Amino acid sequence: MDWQVNCGLHLVIQTSSLPEKNKVEFKLHKETPSFPGRLLQHDLERNYSSRQGDHINLVSSSMPSFPILQRSSEEKILYSDRLTLERQKLTVCPIIDGEEHLRLLNFQHNFITRIQNISNLQRLIFLDLYDNQIEEISGLSTLRSLRVLLLGKNRIKKISNLENLKSLDVLDLHGNQISKIENVSHLCDLRVLNLARNLLSHVDNLNGLDSLTELNLRHNQITFVRDVDNLPCLQRLFLSFNNISTFESVCCLADSTSLSDITFDGNPIAQESWYKHTILQNMMQLRQLDMKRITEEERRMASVIAKKEEEKKRESQKQSLLKEKKRLTINNVARKWDLQQHRVTSIAANQDRKDSDSPSQDPGQVDGSTISAFPEETGSLDSALGNALQGLSVTDTHLVEVDGDTLSLYGSGALESLDRNWSVQTAGMVTTVSFTFIEFDEIVQVLPKLKIKFPNSLHLKFKETNLVMLQQFNALAQLRRIDQLTIDPQGNPVVSFTLWKYYVLFRLSHFSMQKINGTEVTQNDMIMAERLFGILAHVASSELPQYRLISILGDARKKQFRYLLETKGKKPGIVSEENNDSKRLVGENTNRATLNYTTRDFYNEKLEEIKEKKKFCKMYIEDLVKEATEINMKNEALQKLWPQMFIELVRDAVIEIRNKSSYMKLCLQQITDQK
Amino acid sequence: MATERAGTWLPEAGKLELGSCCGPRMLSPERLALTDYEYLAQRHVLTYMEDAVCQLLENKEDISQYGIARFFTEYFNSVCQGTHVLFREFSFIQATPHNRASFLRAFWRCFRTVGKNGDLLTMKEYHCLLQLLCPDFPLELTQKAARIVLMDDAMDCLMSFSDFLFAFQIQFYYSEFLESVAAIYQDLLSGRNPNTVIVPTSSSGQHRQRPALGEASMLEGVEASLFYQCLENLCDRHKYSCPPPALVKEVLSNVQRLTFYGFLVALSKHHGINQALGALPDKGDLMHDPAMDEELERLVVRSRLHRTSRQHRAQEPGTFGFHRRDKLEALERVPSASAPTPSPYRWEPRE
Repeated sequence: MDWQVNCGLHLVIQTSSLPEKNKVEFKLHKETPSFPGRLLQHDLERNYSSRQGDHINLVSSSMPSFPILQRSSEEKILYSDRLTLERQKLTVCPIIDGEEHLRLLNFQHNFITRIQNISNLQRLIFLDLYDNQIEEISGLSTLRSLRVLLLGKNRIKKISNLENLKSLDVLDLHGNQISKIENVSHLCDLRVLNLARNLLSHVDNLNGLDSLTELNLRHNQITFVRDVDNLPCLQRLFLSFNNISTFESVCCLADSTSLSDITFDGNPIAQESWYKHTILQNMMQLRQLDMKRITEEERRMASVIAKKEEEKKRESQKQSLLKEKKRLTINNVARKWDLQQHRVTSIAANQDRKDSDSPSQDPGQVDGSTISAFPEETGSLDSALGNALQGLSVTDTHLVEVDGDTLSLYGSGALESLDRNWSVQTAGMVTTVSFTFIEFDEIVQVLPKLKIKFPNSLHLKFKETNLVMLQQFNALAQLRRIDQLTIDPQGNPVVSFTLWKYYVLFRLSHFSMQKINGTEVTQNDMIMAERLFGILAHVASSELPQYRLISILGDARKKQFRYLLETKGKKPGIVSEENNDSKRLVGENTNRATLNYTTRDFYNEKLEEIKEKKKFCKMYIEDLVKEATEINMKNEALQKLWPQMFIELVRDAVIEIRNKSSYMKLCLQQITDQK
Repeated sequence: MATERAGTWLPEAGKLELGSCCGPRMLSPERLALTDYEYLAQRHVLTYMEDAVCQLLENKEDISQYGIARFFTEYFNSVCQGTHVLFREFSFIQATPHNRASFLRAFWRCFRTVGKNGDLLTMKEYHCLLQLLCPDFPLELTQKAARIVLMDDAMDCLMSFSDFLFAFQIQFYYSEFLESVAAIYQDLLSGRNPNTVIVPTSSSGQHRQRPALGEASMLEGVEASLFYQCLENLCDRHKYSCPPPALVKEVLSNVQRLTFYGFLVALSKHHGINQALGALPDKGDLMHDPAMDEELERLVVRSRLHRTSRQHRAQEPGTFGFHRRDKLEALERVPSASAPTPSPYRWEPRE
């Protein structure tokens, strides 16, 4: 807003110094091409020749030579209170004598570097020094009635020396090099302040400007605005083309009751999607925004959007709450796990330190993200979050999380979630399942469930799951398909083995896996795996006696049956389907199906069973063998006796029939007796 | 087909007294000194009978389908072949010397390729390999075997396959014997006359021992000849397997003094003992198993085909039949693959 006053004065300038000196000076000016205009020079010379006598007194002072100005009396009468020295190529303020009644003085478009020689114009109300080369505000202390001061387009670096200008109404300092607002707090009558096109980086120190109604701050580098709420009369504020990017950096505007017109165009903030409705919602008193009238419709829209934002914010608050809860729970699960693993206390202490560290960071983050949109709510949100966190039970022992395509399970309790009724979409979307802080043996038990509930899971991740043996990988063979396997070295000592990847590739070769721990599986890896463990599979399949084959594969099947009985009850359809499944599994890798994994508990159970059976077998065989050896002994004894017995028998028979007639008699007697 | 293969390794296995409970009687003087029952127990026949019945009970339904007689035939065949220990529980694997030798041999055959590949593994990893064959194999035994290889080094050092295998063989096969040896060694070391040992010339033995005591505390280990005397005595009385005393003598005659682990290392490196034990080939031939290598090549080629074919028919349901055919092929190939292997290793029951 450039203030231009054209008063159409006709002026006459007379040099005030001695002719010789003047000549020298003019010569000097002549040499600088920018300064001496022909007209001016001519005028000066003419005036000098005609009015020389009047100003000799002034020249006698020690000051360097100034031009002396004098107007014709007609002009003085015509424009008694105004004087315009526009575009006169003045380098200094001329001495203006005999014009004490002047109320308006215009020096626009000159080359004046310093404000001088006007201190006698004490009735001056309007001073226009627009487009000069003034570097400092000075020489104004006597102009107590000055009401309009126009210093636009100069070289002023600092606002100063305005102490006595208490009645100042308009102050224009646009187009200077001012980097700070200062020394204005006494200007209680100031209505208009123009600081456009300066070097301001922020706005503050506005206290005391009780009458200010218009403040122009366009084209600065302002990043934040303060104190505007202390300006009771401010109606128009122009902040276009600055560097304001957030609403909270100008949030004091919301507290101003008088503000009705504001501009933000050309700021980063104006590019934001929330810009308009946030401004409207927070500044109900506004009538114009960026020079456009605000309609009722717009206001209504803004409030609708604001409501939505509010909801969103509540949602994000909930999210951050959940996040925090998740973090706490995971920490808790980790602590439990550590205890369970009998880890040394130093680790536990470490964990604790981590715990105490993170709250100082995390809530900060949470604040940051919420502040960005709704600063005025921060306090309540903060406390709400704090309360909610206190309310969180840190006794949670597990955590289940579905994030996109990833199902994350923390703590053994999380495995129970596989029994839940997952929606078909969720279950179908899950392609990655991650296990943390869960014993692998417990995971093994739910693998059949996993297979049914999340049929698309292709990527399994294990961290802190106590994978210690190669044979544990056997358990994964029962799944439908695995494309990727990630075994975190943390809490899985098996990863430190040289051969573990090859064993996985070998045992799970029917999956044709793509990646192990993020590394692409190559054909060479597969061949190497086969070379290392192929014989094991061959021995396991072709040399295992049939009865062992049945026993081992039977165990696998039995395990599945057991699971089905436990979980599904008696649903014959599913059972038969599962049965087929296990048959297919057997077929799918015949020569390595015998390499299966039995969890330690189950295995111990089996050993107990075997022990029982052994006890029985031992007794049974003992009895059997004892009986057999006894029979054998008797048999042997009989064999020993038999030859002698036979001879004795024959001898007895021979003796009996030796006397034929008596034997015959005896026989006949026996026959008749029978009759 | 199976017996043929068994013949390659255990030509004597037929004499494993399988028929002794009902067949021809072996009237050796030793046999006559025992009752039938004691004899059968001592020869571990009872162990196998018990186990056979146990296995039968385990899978009653399935086995009754294909015949009890068939099952017993298969069972005792597998015992002869040494395949009966595969994936069995540890208590069974260590139950008889034959089982131990069978397990050692199975371990060698299955993981020879690991040694051939040149991988050096830690004790824990070897333990994992052992557990692939015997899920409840105790860590303690593996640790002891590793101690023989590593001596004073840290337990997480890497070991070569052959070092570990031979140390493991001694530790596993003679584990009870070594325990007694350790006790004797400790007694000798502390200057006590091992109370478990009744030395016939006990007075002279003690007499000899006294002056040696001063040196013993300075020098490492115990005096070899005295140690041998004790061990010879132990071998006589010991009811578990011991290395042949002549070979122990050979080991101990080469040195003046030795430590316990020095003794174990010497035992494990002694190829005569290895031969006497008969489960593993000589150290030089440890990586040598042409029949299995041939089989492996076949497996590798097939896995390559398998992988490519799988990629083509990833979702096809017909994989079942495909694999069954593989299995049959494998079974058919077995005799031809293994028959020509000559076997320089003999297994002699030694109780």
